[in-house]
Amino acid sequence: MKSMTEGKLSEDEIALYDRQIRLWGMAAQANMRSAKVLLINLGAIGSEIAKSIVLSGIGHLTILDAHKVTEEDLGSQFFIGSKDVGQWKIDAAKERVQDLNSRVELKFDKQFFQEKDEKFFQHFDLVVATEMKADDAVKLNELTRKLNIPLYVAGSNGLFAYIFIDLIEFISEDEKLQSIRPTVVGPISNNRSIIEITTRKDEEDGKKTYERIKIKNCYTSLKEVLKGATLNEKLTRRQLKRVTSILPLTLSLLQHELKQKSKTINVEQMKMDAAVWCKQLGIPTSVLTDEYTQQFIKQRGIEFAPVAAIIGGAVAQDVINILGKRLSPLSNFIVFDGITLDMPLFEF
Amino acid sequence: MARKSNLVAIIGEDSFQKLRSSRCLLVGAGGIGSELLKDLILMEFGEIHVVDLDTIDLSNLNRQFLFRQKDIKQPKSTTAVKAVQHFNNSKLVPYQGNVMDTFTFPLHWFEQFDIIFNALDNLAARRYVNKISQFLSLPLLESGTAGFDGYMQPIIPGKTECFECTTKETPKAFPVCTIRSTPSQPIHCIVWAKNFLFNQLFASEVYTDEDNNKDWGTDDDEEIKRIKQETNELHELQKIIISKNVSRIPEILHKLFIQDINKLLAIENLWKTRTKPVPLSLSQIKGSMNTSKFDSNSIGTIQEQISHFIKITEQLMDRYAREENHIEFDKDDVDTLEFVVTAANIRSHIFNIPMKSVFDIKQIAGNIIPAIATTNAIIAGLSSLISLRVLNLLKYAPVNNYTDLNMAFTAKASNLSQNRYLSNPKLASSNCNCPVCSKVCRGVIKLSFDSLKKLKLSHLIGLIRDKYEYPEDISLLDASNQRLLADYDFEDLNDRTLSEVNLENGSIILFSDENDDTMVRKSIELYLDVNDRFPCDTCKLPDVRVPLVASTDDLSKNEEDEEKEEDKAVGTTDNNKEKDGIVILGDDESDIVIDTEPSNDSKKRPAGIQELGEPSNKRKKLANDPVNFDLVELD
Repeated sequence: MKSMTEGKLSEDEIALYDRQIRLWGMAAQANMRSAKVLLINLGAIGSEIAKSIVLSGIGHLTILDAHKVTEEDLGSQFFIGSKDVGQWKIDAAKERVQDLNSRVELKFDKQFFQEKDEKFFQHFDLVVATEMKADDAVKLNELTRKLNIPLYVAGSNGLFAYIFIDLIEFISEDEKLQSIRPTVVGPISNNRSIIEITTRKDEEDGKKTYERIKIKNCYTSLKEVLKGATLNEKLTRRQLKRVTSILPLTLSLLQHELKQKSKTINVEQMKMDAAVWCKQLGIPTSVLTDEYTQQFIKQRGIEFAPVAAIIGGAVAQDVINILGKRLSPLSNFIVFDGITLDMPLFEF
Repeated sequence: MARKSNLVAIIGEDSFQKLRSSRCLLVGAGGIGSELLKDLILMEFGEIHVVDLDTIDLSNLNRQFLFRQKDIKQPKSTTAVKAVQHFNNSKLVPYQGNVMDTFTFPLHWFEQFDIIFNALDNLAARRYVNKISQFLSLPLLESGTAGFDGYMQPIIPGKTECFECTTKETPKAFPVCTIRSTPSQPIHCIVWAKNFLFNQLFASEVYTDEDNNKDWGTDDDEEIKRIKQETNELHELQKIIISKNVSRIPEILHKLFIQDINKLLAIENLWKTRTKPVPLSLSQIKGSMNTSKFDSNSIGTIQEQISHFIKITEQLMDRYAREENHIEFDKDDVDTLEFVVTAANIRSHIFNIPMKSVFDIKQIAGNIIPAIATTNAIIAGLSSLISLRVLNLLKYAPVNNYTDLNMAFTAKASNLSQNRYLSNPKLASSNCNCPVCSKVCRGVIKLSFDSLKKLKLSHLIGLIRDKYEYPEDISLLDASNQRLLADYDFEDLNDRTLSEVNLENGSIILFSDENDDTMVRKSIELYLDVNDRFPCDTCKLPDVRVPLVASTDDLSKNEEDEEKEEDKAVGTTDNNKEKDGIVILGDDESDIVIDTEPSNDSKKRPAGIQELGEPSNKRKKLANDPVNFDLVELD
């Protein structure tokens, strides 16, 4: 990521952002002001992400969307209205997005990301891609890896959704109260390890000591995840049995898109693919049910406002978090089941 | 493809039609409320009614995405409804009002809704709407956020836990002596400055120590005597404020920060294990008269604090007369805030406690809860999403048992879990000890105004006794204010009419079996719905089954045992651990904290939200008694 200069916040900014500065502090807010983000596709999830990060007071946001507003869009998106059907979505949404926060520098662009050269991407500290087919997401990920830019990919299939995160390598700093057993340097999970710990005493209560923990977070590319993600040796047997079927279903669909583009997939094919994924992941095929598989296929690619709010909110929160350089980011694959509200995190 | 095609693919045409004909109530158009309004519109609810009392403030704009700078001071409900017009496809009905106001929102008004979404920022309104949902058996989606933390809980009356089934976090309370004699943290000095000093000088109502139930936090008679004496002396200082004689302000400083500290030092017992305070010196007070620098963004020196204290007291002195001898503390009123800041910091300095910035003290004194757009979006999304299952609109995930539904918490963001973004415990059944949803039967009495005026109390008692088979010995309570109306040896009011004993629309009465038997009739709580729509002699009791139960003594014993068993059974699951981890009440500025201003709220508050004769814990006591000065609550 590019270096960020810390400037002082103005009185007006402190008043406007008061309720969030009280959460993440002035320094993080100032950091965010110099960050530049690229958002690809302004669909249901994209709208939620745009809303949250523009409100938060990020420095710059470019929104890339090459679609025209359809009747269907009206059922899940709030930056557009029935009068906008047939217009470029960017044109319809432009003013409403800017209206959220005049302090944020916004750019709108009607091109597809494939039409953009490397130079275009180099301007950004972070890229968020939404509602994108897996083959495109993999291409984009190759580019962000090459340019060393953090990437978030989010998509939904009706009540079901996923988030993929590739920050390549990210150093985060957490602070926590020291417990009886002090934290030690070393790996804490598959992709994360503690590299440094410093301590400081509480200003008011001398008995309390805080540990500042530096963590190195390593990430895997989407291509690698779709090639050979597994949970073997990461989860206990009991945990493996309880993994939601949304995980194998999501991975199957992404892999299908990667291999066969946007071709349709039938329930039988999906069942077979998902069973293969269960084996690969190390989870029992009994997690799969016909009902879920059918609904997953039926709701493929469908946008739904409440799910977009949850997924978009989660992505935006993490984007804001890493741009302010605060706590540990999410890692690295999340699925959501809108029926049970189950939302587990997986490290691949 | 049409606007509805995505939704129909998820829930089917039938369920879509049901949604289109559903009417929902959204209580609150703030942080969660703005998000919910957007979600409910995009879910195509037929009618959405939005109630909010509040107006828009600058500090809302970082998250309440429907509001702009130009909307500041406008009502939230109507502004929100205007802001969504371009994507709206539902009938929207905004109300600027307090949902607890029985005149604007009588019980029967709530009957029109299929489901209620709570997007509230305070405990009192949450409890009130919870009670309404119980009276009318209306499903309620309760939610709340504070910073990164958020929760969402569906409440199905009679089937699942209600809002009161779990005890909410008890706010921190400080004993009197910590605030008045031996502060050791900045917060103690802030509480002293805001709740004690400020009111003594600028409030019209006088605070006295004549309350024998207070938690002094000490047995030292000498100290208690000193505290009482100090209270009286401080009130004398108000005369200086009234005199408008600016040159006397140093007298205030002298009294507070030299004389009173010296008196404290004289009580040697206090300082055996504590660092002694160091009073200001006369030269410090004099020397500060002319320094005028005060930068609200930095803490500065003690001289700057003293000098600014003088300046700000001057300003408040001037305002005092103009504002009818009464100024209230308001975190957004810079004069009152800076008075509290400087007074607290001078006291901190004396007690060797670090001073704090205006920004930090504003948060503590104003009880500001951090709030961000993302948590609100997530919680609102969960709340609207689960409503599909509460209304049983997902055919492929039918709800056979409401305890199969899930609530949700922000597990990762709240640092409760490393491997789940959300935790989603299944709903628990009602807690059988819950005073709101389990301990009593409940129903609505429909009355005409005519009946209210004519019906005698004895007559009403007879009707209830006959209908639900109560014995001769009963008691009748006006539950709104814990007022006894009748029992076996109090019949003085029996010949009065209902209106003569001050019962009115919105009153809640509690009828109990007072027999000594081992089996007694369960108590019934009845809401008086007084309405012109009813024919003039209407007095219709609800058709509720009131069972016989083991009398309270036996019952509580049994329940204790059951509870222990339950603990064993559920105590080991992950979900429950996570569930216990957070209790969030605020969305915005919550009102559960340091509210000690003498207020008339308790009188104005409509019937129904106050507790029944359950063992009063501290929280309940405080909720009902905002005047209670001594248990200073902190969240």
